[in-house]
Parts: sequence; structure tokens; C-alpha cells
Amino acid sequence: MQISLTKHHGINVAIVAIAVWFIWFASGYFDEYTVRILNNIAIFIILAASYNLINGVTGQFSLEPNGFVAIGAYVTALLLITPDAKMYQYAIVDPYPFILTLHSNFIVALLLGGFFSAFLAFCLSMPVFRVRGDYLAIVTLGFGFIIKILAINTPEVTNGSLGLNDIPEFSNLYWTGGIAIVTVIVILNIVNSKFGRAMKAVRDDEDAAIAMGVNTFKAKTMAFCTSAFFEGIGGGLLAALLTSISPDLFDFFFTFQLLIIIVLGGLGSTTGAIIGTILVIGGSEWMRFLDEPMHLFGYTTTAMPGMRMVVFSLLLIFIMLFAREGIMGKREFKELFKSRTKGDK
Amino acid sequence: MDITIFMQQMLNGFSLGSMYALIAIGYTMVYGVLRLINFAHGDIMMVGAFLGYFGIAVLGLPFGAAVLLSIGGSALLGMFSDIVAYRPLRNAPKISLLITAIGVSFFLENAFNVFFGGVPRAFPVPTYLEEMVDFYGLMMPVSALLVPIVTAILLVVILWVLFKTKYGMAIRALAFDVGTVNLMGIDANRIISLVFGIGSALAAVGGVFWAINYPSVEPMMGVLVGLKAFAAAVVGGIGSVGGAVLGGLIIGFTEVVVIAFFPELGGYKDAFAFIFLILILLFKPTGILGIDFEKSRF
Amino acid sequence: MRKLAVLATSVALLASSSYAKEINVGVVMAMSGPLAAYGQTCNEGIEFAHSLQPTLKNGDTIKLVLVDNKGDKVESANGTTRLISSDKVVGILGALTSTNTSQVMAISEKKQIPVIAPVATNDKLTEQKSFANRVCFTDSFQGAVVANYATKDLKLKTAVVVVDQAQVYSLGLAKAFTDAFKKAGGKILKDIKVSSGDKDFKAVVSQIKTANPDFVFLPMYHPEVSMITRQAKQIGLIKPMFSGDGVANQTFIDLGGDSVEGYMFTDFFDYSAPPTQRSKDFIAAYSAKTGKQDMNSFVALGADAYNVMVDAMNRCANPEDSICINNEIKKTQGYEGVSGVINIDKNGNATRSAVIKVIKDGKAVYKSTVNP
Repeated sequence: MQISLTKHHGINVAIVAIAVWFIWFASGYFDEYTVRILNNIAIFIILAASYNLINGVTGQFSLEPNGFVAIGAYVTALLLITPDAKMYQYAIVDPYPFILTLHSNFIVALLLGGFFSAFLAFCLSMPVFRVRGDYLAIVTLGFGFIIKILAINTPEVTNGSLGLNDIPEFSNLYWTGGIAIVTVIVILNIVNSKFGRAMKAVRDDEDAAIAMGVNTFKAKTMAFCTSAFFEGIGGGLLAALLTSISPDLFDFFFTFQLLIIIVLGGLGSTTGAIIGTILVIGGSEWMRFLDEPMHLFGYTTTAMPGMRMVVFSLLLIFIMLFAREGIMGKREFKELFKSRTKGDK
Repeated sequence: MDITIFMQQMLNGFSLGSMYALIAIGYTMVYGVLRLINFAHGDIMMVGAFLGYFGIAVLGLPFGAAVLLSIGGSALLGMFSDIVAYRPLRNAPKISLLITAIGVSFFLENAFNVFFGGVPRAFPVPTYLEEMVDFYGLMMPVSALLVPIVTAILLVVILWVLFKTKYGMAIRALAFDVGTVNLMGIDANRIISLVFGIGSALAAVGGVFWAINYPSVEPMMGVLVGLKAFAAAVVGGIGSVGGAVLGGLIIGFTEVVVIAFFPELGGYKDAFAFIFLILILLFKPTGILGIDFEKSRF
Repeated sequence: MRKLAVLATSVALLASSSYAKEINVGVVMAMSGPLAAYGQTCNEGIEFAHSLQPTLKNGDTIKLVLVDNKGDKVESANGTTRLISSDKVVGILGALTSTNTSQVMAISEKKQIPVIAPVATNDKLTEQKSFANRVCFTDSFQGAVVANYATKDLKLKTAVVVVDQAQVYSLGLAKAFTDAFKKAGGKILKDIKVSSGDKDFKAVVSQIKTANPDFVFLPMYHPEVSMITRQAKQIGLIKPMFSGDGVANQTFIDLGGDSVEGYMFTDFFDYSAPPTQRSKDFIAAYSAKTGKQDMNSFVALGADAYNVMVDAMNRCANPEDSICINNEIKKTQGYEGVSGVINIDKNGNATRSAVIKVIKDGKAVYKSTVNP
């Protein structure tokens, strides 16, 4: 990890300081609903920024994050739930004995969740990167789907579709926000490192990158595993925030949501991933008023529950039509202040 | 397992596979000209089924007229979605197009949910389609037998259009190079709209068939079917119409036959399409009939 | 725009001061997404019961605040937190399925806000929780009802169970039935696993035909069961078939057509012979409004979740005291609800009778009542 001491160093420190202050302020002064939404936003920033690494920066169109998030969530949950609580909740079949013995503290559980995801990504990278482009998309979509089906069909480990309950609620804004900050810093450093340049070379022209001596397989695998690691941690945080998880949470709509976030924000831009998260996660909560009866000019319309999602999908189409490369394009926050360049260097 | 049961299962798989094939053709044609995974395609199928339902149950049309209404309405919807959501993005990154496709998909699902409700409706199947045919001891309803026949006819029609008409030539040319096609004095946008129209019409036929074989229509019915049909298109080699049909049949067979022989795997049924897909792509990274999609020619 | 907002706020303030107090009751329900069909039906009951009885005894009005959870856990958590922290609800009705309901209950338990689940039947749901209640019966009760009825009244000895792996409801009910059926001397010939959302069950029905059981138990929801009955009829599989309350609605009969003739299922009450006065009034008003002659159990249970909540609030000196409401809910005894007489025990579980119905000439016909 290298943090370059340039004139932007000050800006970086200032942004992190503001973020830390905001987390402290929000934890103390905001109401619980707002804090919960902020928690969601922080977790989705982790997921979106890491998903962006493989999809945006490396240009490998993959659709598997729901699978990695599920792995992270299940591993973390199994490590956090006390043996007593486990004993009591397996209702379909008895769990494997070793499942009952698993127990660890929060940090270890999160890290193991991340490592398991990254390890699976490593194992998958060999077959997955045999294919390119849209074929990669469908293969990874398939893996994500299979992981969900496995979670339903292996009740000895996952308790089937009943899911795992009574997960201790460790996640709070300090954890989610703190890890989000760390994730963003780590990912920005990777993007700006030698590896990051290799990843971008793969995205811009894979054949040319090979010709220039870039080990494209290594660059892709590196991006894939890093992104899986943080997605696993994000999944663990989500499990410890919700306190209960079940397979239906991790279907491909989850992946679509992340894809919408990173493309809306600007594929390849970490700043874009953050903006996209705030817009999609925050926005869809804010739009709840659309489900309620509306008072317009003295008239009260009848409530139309579900209207929120109709408007959400229309907005999504319109934003994409007007910001065809997403809100940020490939640019990062700092580049907004520079004279307009091609954005990507 | 005796031969009758085996043949029965093969016939079932053939019928299911034909339905996947009908929907997969639409995916593959749109992909051929635009390189777009049209995630809204499964939802167009849902709209097709709903239009058929409205035609029969609300307007009181005979079955044939309702099918025509469904085909026409869906084709128009497909072309309209192209004009509104995809055409403005012709020169944008492909992934932006994909997001608007997801947007169209979400919109159709949720709009139908809000305005018509999520409660499944019973599709009024004409009685002559529900009659059972006894074919050397194999029992099939007329509706299930009809599917492979109509699929075969439509496949011939599509291939004829693609290879024997000037529109077909334009579509194939478009699959090679959009820029050059424009230079040749062909309105590429019109041809792309035509492709959406044809694909959506096929999806509508698939939707109506789905509804007469599994007579319940609801707003989310297209999601899983669409996804499996897409997997079918990729298995066959996306961009190839013959491949889409082959892929559809393979996935249909696998789902029925694996369950018949290994009943304990029932819970994994929905995963078969994808397991198969992954296996095929590992050995043949562009699908069975797929040429490298940079050179696809249906 | 700003002026308008100020105006609206002042009008709202005026309105609230001139009337009696308005108390918020939250509803978490799947109004969109894959579970929308069930959520919309259940919410219909809640809203209709509210329209019949919008005020408390002391004149306070109740305002329902509905949040859509899209059938999703994250959204259930967001919605519940919003209801409790922003809308200051005194109680929550809902979440449809057991997984989403357990998410709602996990949060409300910490905030000491009572939840009444209208239709979530999983046994584990209310265990080890003080603020979790329900008005429906549990899986274990329902499973035992079916098992006993099949063995004692119908003298059926062998069964095939088809279970939907993806639905908690199905898993719970299948297990409860299997346990009770074995205890009563029955034999399970085969467990067949399917997944909801599936439409093609040809392989499943031929397996059932091969196993040749006395009857088939299908603890699933109506979209899948109706497809199974249709495909069973096509291959000439004619066996008694039984389901739980998941098929207890007219949609099942519409979807299944004549293939569901003779189908048996458990239900909460018989709408053609309303068990209580409230039930009679409710059904009459409901028919007058919607024109429907039948009533889905989900509508009745949604209504009863609301009614039991209101009943408990009426018995509290301060109807905004959530802890009192929760205690009163658990003291509900002999409440004559829309779906029958409801007793709620200290664990929050409802003790109530079940009825068994059979489908005859496209109508669900009452067959017998089983008391707990």
C-alpha cells in the first residue's frame, strides 16, 4: 500500500477526517431510522466499491456478488451465533457437529468471511476467466445462482430457507462506516498502483495488454479475489446488522442492485460507486412517500403501494439516457476540479 | 424404468424445451444486432401472456384472435422499448444499455403489479387444447404437443426471413457492422426495431404457450423463465438462431430428465440450467453452435 | 413550492389539533416483488378492517402506516425501523412470510413494540420472544390436524409428501405433518423436493404415480399446487390430495380448474357459515364492497391481526402504551374475530380451531372442524 505525498495528500486527509466526524456525529445525533439507512449505505459502499474493481476498473463484466456476499454473510453468521442459539434454531435437520463448535469474535468472523469468499473466487478464477465478455457475465450469474440454491439445499449447514437467526447485532455505524472508509482507501490505492494499471490495461484492450507483457490472468484474478474479499466482509456486516439471514436475500436482484449502483455512478469510478450507492439506497428509501396517499392541491390520491418501484425504474432509465456513462464517467472526485481531460489516464 | 415412462419424459422435456427455445430466439436475435443482453425479454413474454389473458377473459375474443392481439401488442411494446430506452444509447457503452434493459424489466414487472395486482390469474385455456392425446401409450395434452410443432414452424419462418428476404440480409449485415450498413443506405434503426418486433412477437407466442400449459399469469412469471431461456441461448451459442433452439431443447430435457432419474436432486432443479451452461462454456467458450460473437451471423 | 409546503404543514397542524388523537399502527407487507400476491391480499384485510373500525373506544383514530418490504429482509428491517423511530407506531402488523416476520420481530423486540403476525405459521417464530404474537395457528398444530384426519377419519396409511424447499412455510408444515403422521402409525413413502416459482411438475407427478401412496400431502402455496394437480390429472394420477392453508383461497380453484375436484385442505374458518357475528358482518360488508362471494383466509387473518390489536388497545388506559398493548394482546381470550374465536397464550401463539374443507363443483365445502 502506498500513499503518495503529493499536494492532494491534504485533500485526502481532509475527506477522511470529515467522514470520520460524520460517522461520530450521525451515531450520536441522528434517529435510528436514519442511522440504519446510513448503515445500509456504508455496507453497500463496501460492496459497490469492491464490485467496481472487477467490473469497472478491470472491465470484466461479472454478475456474482450475491454469491460472495452470501458466503461472507453465512460464514460470519455461523461464527457469531452462540452454540446454544444454533442448537435451538436448526429445525429441518440437525446441523453437522462441527457447525456447533464454530465460534469467534466479530473481527475474526468478518475476516474469515472475507477470506472464504476470496478463496472461492480464487478457485473460480481458473474456469471463469476462460471465457470473456458477456459469456463471463452469464457464467458468473450462474455461479451466484448456484450458491443461492446450495444455501437452500444444504440445511445441515445453512438451515435451508429458514435461514440463520439470532445473529448478535455487532454492526453499528462505527464498524460499517469505518470499514467502508478502509475499503475505499485500499481500493483507491490498488487502482493507482502497478496492479491497478494492469487492470485498466486489461479493460481497455486485453490483447494489447498481453502483447505488452501484462499477465492479464493474474491481474483479473487479483481484482476478482480482492473484490470477493470485501464483498464477503460486506456480507458479514450485513448479517450482523440484520441479525437474521436467509437464502432469498441473496438472489440475482441483489447483484442487479449493485450493478445499477456502479453503472449509475459511473463504471470504473470509485467516487461514482459511492455516489451511486447514496442515490440508489438512500433514494429508494426516500421515495417511500410514493407508496402512500398523496396530497396534491387539496386532493388526496389513493395509495398505490408498489408505485415507488415503478418510479424507480423509470428514473433509472432516464438517468441512463442523460448520463450515458454514469454520473461520474470514469473520473474520480479530485478530477472534477481539474481541467477536463479524457478522465482516464 | 420402462420405455413408456422414458419416452413420456423425453416428450415432456421436448415440449418444455421448445418453450425455452421460442424465448431464447428473441434473446439471440437482439444480441446478434445490438450485443445487448435484453433482460426485459422475459417480461415481454409476461406481457404477451397477459395480453392473451385480457383478450380472452376481458374482451371475449376467440383464442386465435387473442394470440394475434398478444403477438401484435408485444411486438409494438418491444419496438417501443427499443425506441425509448435503447435507441438513444446506440453509441453509449454497452453496459449502459444493459442498465436501461434492467430498468425496462423492473418497470414492466412493477407497473403490472401496481395496476393489475400480483395475484395470479387463471388463464382461460380453450377446452380443445386441454384434451389428452394418447400416442402409443404416451399421454400428452394437445397444448403440450402444439408447442414443438409451432416452434418448428416459427423457426422455419425466421430462418426464411433471415436468409431469403432483403430484410433478413439487412439484419445479418447489421450483425457484422452497424456503420457499414448505414453507409449502404439502410436505416439501421428501422432494422433494429424490426428485430425487436420479431423477437418480442416470438416471446409473446412463448408467453401464451407457457400460459396454456401452466395456466397462471402473474407479473413475475417472466423472471426465471427469461433467465433460463437466456442461459439456453448462451448454451447454444448466442447470436445463432439454431443454437438458441438447440440450447432451449437441451435445458428443457435436462430439467425434466434429471429429475426423472435422480428425484433426490429435485431441490436443485433451477440450478441445472446454469450448471449445464457452465460445463459447456468451460469446454466450448462460445457455446455449442456459437462462432466467436465478433463474427456472429445467426 | 415552499409556500405550498408551509401551507400544507399548517393545515395539517390545524387538523390534528381539532380532532381527537391519531395513533399510528404500522403495517410491514410485501406489496411488490415475488410475494406481492400474498401481501396484497393480506393487506386488503387489514385495510378493510380498519375502514370498518377506524377509531378506538375513547375516540382516538388509528392511522395505518404501510411500508412495502418487497418481500426482502433488508427492506423489512428498514421499514420496521422507520415505523418505530419516525412514525412512532404503537404496534406493528405483518410481515407476511416467516423469514421477513422474524426480521421485523428481531427489531421490534429490542424496541418493545408488539407485533402481530397475521399469517406466519412457523413454530420457531414466537419462541424466546416477548413482543411477538400471531393470530394464525402454527405449523405443528396444522400438521397434526391433517395427519390425524387422514389416519383416523379417512383411514389412509401411506403418504407421499411434496415439499417446497424454498418456502419456510412448506418446510415447517411438512416436518410437523411427517412427525404426526408417523406417530399415528402412517408411513411416508417418499419425500419429493421442489422449488417455488416452478411450473413444470411432470417429473414429480410421475414419481408420485410410481410410489402409489394412499394419499399425497402438498404443504405448499396455491400457484405450485394448482400446477401439480393439473399435471397429475393429465397423467391419470387420481389419489386423495391434501394441503394446508396455503391453498385456502378461490385463486387456487380458479388456477386448478376441474383438476382440484375432491381436493382437501385445512382452513381457518368457513366463510359460508360465519363462525361469529363479527365474521358475518365483515363478510357481508366485504361482499358488498368487492362483489366477491368468497373470502380468502389471508384477508380474514389480516383483518383479525388488526382487530386483535385494536381490542388490546381498547383495554389499555393509555392506548399508546406499547407494553400494555403487548400484555393485553397476550390476554386475548375468546375473541370473536372474523376468522373465528381466537385465544392468544402468553407465548403469543393463537389457540384456535381449524376446519377441513373439500373442493366440490368448484367450491370449497366445509367438511369438519378440529378443535385444539
